[in-house]
Amino acid sequence: MTRAIVFILLLIGLPVMALGQSSNAPALSLKDVRGRTVRLNEYKGKVVLINFWATWCPPCRAEMPDLIRIQREYQSKGLQVIGVTYPPETINEVRRFIRKLRVNYPIALGTKETKALFDQTDTLPLTIVIDRAGKVRERIEGILLPEEFEQKVKPLLQ
Amino acid sequence: MLKNRVAVLLGLIFLLSLTATSASAATRTATIHIEGMHCKMCSASVTKALKATDGVEKVEVSFEKGVAVVQYDDQKVTETKLREVINGTGFKVVEEKTASNTVAN
Repeated sequence: MTRAIVFILLLIGLPVMALGQSSNAPALSLKDVRGRTVRLNEYKGKVVLINFWATWCPPCRAEMPDLIRIQREYQSKGLQVIGVTYPPETINEVRRFIRKLRVNYPIALGTKETKALFDQTDTLPLTIVIDRAGKVRERIEGILLPEEFEQKVKPLLQ
Repeated sequence: MLKNRVAVLLGLIFLLSLTATSASAATRTATIHIEGMHCKMCSASVTKALKATDGVEKVEVSFEKGVAVVQYDDQKVTETKLREVINGTGFKVVEEKTASNTVAN
């Protein structure tokens, strides 16, 4: 009887434990548009949103004003947005675009392999949510909706 | 006696009004053409944004055809609102209205 109860508890508990597990974010080190190095581990202690985007991707362009606002409003609460480009991309196009939008967070130049470190899908934009301990907590496909920010990011800032 | 008749009459009126309301509510299907949706990876944003819209029941987006087929409750959301949602994802709705027909209720 006891063994049966333990078995049932394990059956229920294992998937819950698996869902609750969050992996450590990989040690990311990329160059930004000015040639400076952006290292993910420098932002430990902050909630980091890594936003994979491209200048040729309409939804990526559409969500950037919101990311700029989020960076401005939540920076003081310990939030940091990092943009990572997805190929094919030209550095001049990226520079022109971020200058036009007055992007207020670092933009690093990524590759397909960079995105593959976090996600195996082809979706763009893609936002990875990393908590203050450096663990990947969420993978948000498509435009980051306001309700997703409220439910998945804001609680990590408290 | 009179009170009873009034109560029955009011009940009938209430029931009739309920029937009329449910008859006017309908699930509709809108076929919306979208410009610039060239990549499968980008079309996910259109699907997600539409699904997050109150009143939307079913969404099928084809980036090959450049079309979103949306089933929605016309009591909760309008086709105009759906077009606004799509435009908000960075793509552009190219036609005002291509097809719209009642499918339920």
